[in-house]
Amino acid sequence: MVSEDVLRTHLQELRRGTVVVASLVALRRPDYGYALLQRLTDHGFPVDANTLYPLLRRLEDQGLLTSEWNTEESRPRKFYRTSDEGESMLSRLLDDLAAVQTSMTGLIQGVDR
Amino acid sequence: MNTLTDRYLAATLRSVPAQRRDEIATELRASIDDMIDDRTGSGEDPTAAEREVLTELGNPDVLAARYADRRLQLIGPTYYLLWLRLLKLLLSFIPALVGTIVTVVEAAEGKGFGAIGPGIVTAMQVAVQITFWLTLTFAIIERTQTAVDLPEWTVDQLPDAPVHRGIPLADTIASVIMLVLTIAYLPLQHYQSWVRGTDGENVPILDPALWSFWLPALIVVLAASVVFEIVKYRIGRWTWTLFGIKAMLNLAFTVPLMWLALSDRLLNPALAERLSWVAEADNRDALGLAIAVGAAAVVAWDLIDTARKTRQQTA
Repeated sequence: MVSEDVLRTHLQELRRGTVVVASLVALRRPDYGYALLQRLTDHGFPVDANTLYPLLRRLEDQGLLTSEWNTEESRPRKFYRTSDEGESMLSRLLDDLAAVQTSMTGLIQGVDR
Repeated sequence: MNTLTDRYLAATLRSVPAQRRDEIATELRASIDDMIDDRTGSGEDPTAAEREVLTELGNPDVLAARYADRRLQLIGPTYYLLWLRLLKLLLSFIPALVGTIVTVVEAAEGKGFGAIGPGIVTAMQVAVQITFWLTLTFAIIERTQTAVDLPEWTVDQLPDAPVHRGIPLADTIASVIMLVLTIAYLPLQHYQSWVRGTDGENVPILDPALWSFWLPALIVVLAASVVFEIVKYRIGRWTWTLFGIKAMLNLAFTVPLMWLALSDRLLNPALAERLSWVAEADNRDALGLAIAVGAAAVVAWDLIDTARKTRQQTA
């Protein structure tokens, strides 16, 4: 039986990069921090709030997201959206994700059990 | 207002860069309020919800470090190995060198064996200083993200594969420590023996008259033994030559010690004034004999053991 700690570490490593990809996809439709967190969770990308909020700012600093303050609602909210630059980067990342999946499928089929 | 949320925000914002503090504050407060609303909407108590949300966000210092993209480490993997190598290199000789120089200078000023103390203290201070400044330098390099051109590793740097060691490092270190402690004890007992004379002055255990020749001679033999231990470790295995040198060093120390003990010249005659048991000639003879026999037994066992190892390792 694999220890829970080891399993958790490996799952974390496997998931780490996918949060960025998922966020870039989800933010093709503009959204604010907590709403994005909920959407990601609903779609099977559970992410910690203390990871996501700083990540959004970092992606903005890198020019992959743009942001806009919305002050019409009850409280001011910062809406992020994937920029053109973010979009071209996203397509590269998605290609690579697909390539990883293809390679993994090939490897699984090629290895006798 | 000084709610938990206010306190959490203040704690987080304390260490994020000032120019973005207000913006992060507004956004983070809105996010926290969103999270609380979500929980109270499903019927939770607002106070409990606030606690829960802030607990979920976790340690504010960690969150602030993530916002500032700051690494939570003093020296990271890029520089750690270089730091460690430099530290070992510098500590391997500078403290000992400076300590020796101080000891020699103090001794030259007529402090005699009292010069060893300042030498050791200086060596330790130098070691602490080296460690501190080197670590500080690397911590700064780590934080300023200065591009330091580290030489690429190549296969040519591989050290020779270690030969099988017949002499473990631990044994060598233990022997050297024992020898150094013995060397230190000889002057120490002269100044601080914990036996007090009638006027409260210090009474050395060993006869002070021995300082004219025998004790310095024994210290020289012990110092030579320290050198021998280090050379032996470098060679890495016992040889019959090493066995011969070891036997000579052992005898050079033990034979004078036995002779002094048997001829009742080892102990300080002044001790008899304080310890009546020592005053009786029979007891002194018995003590001298015990020291001589004990020393002979230790040397005999050591030489037999060493001969056994030498035969195994030269076979």
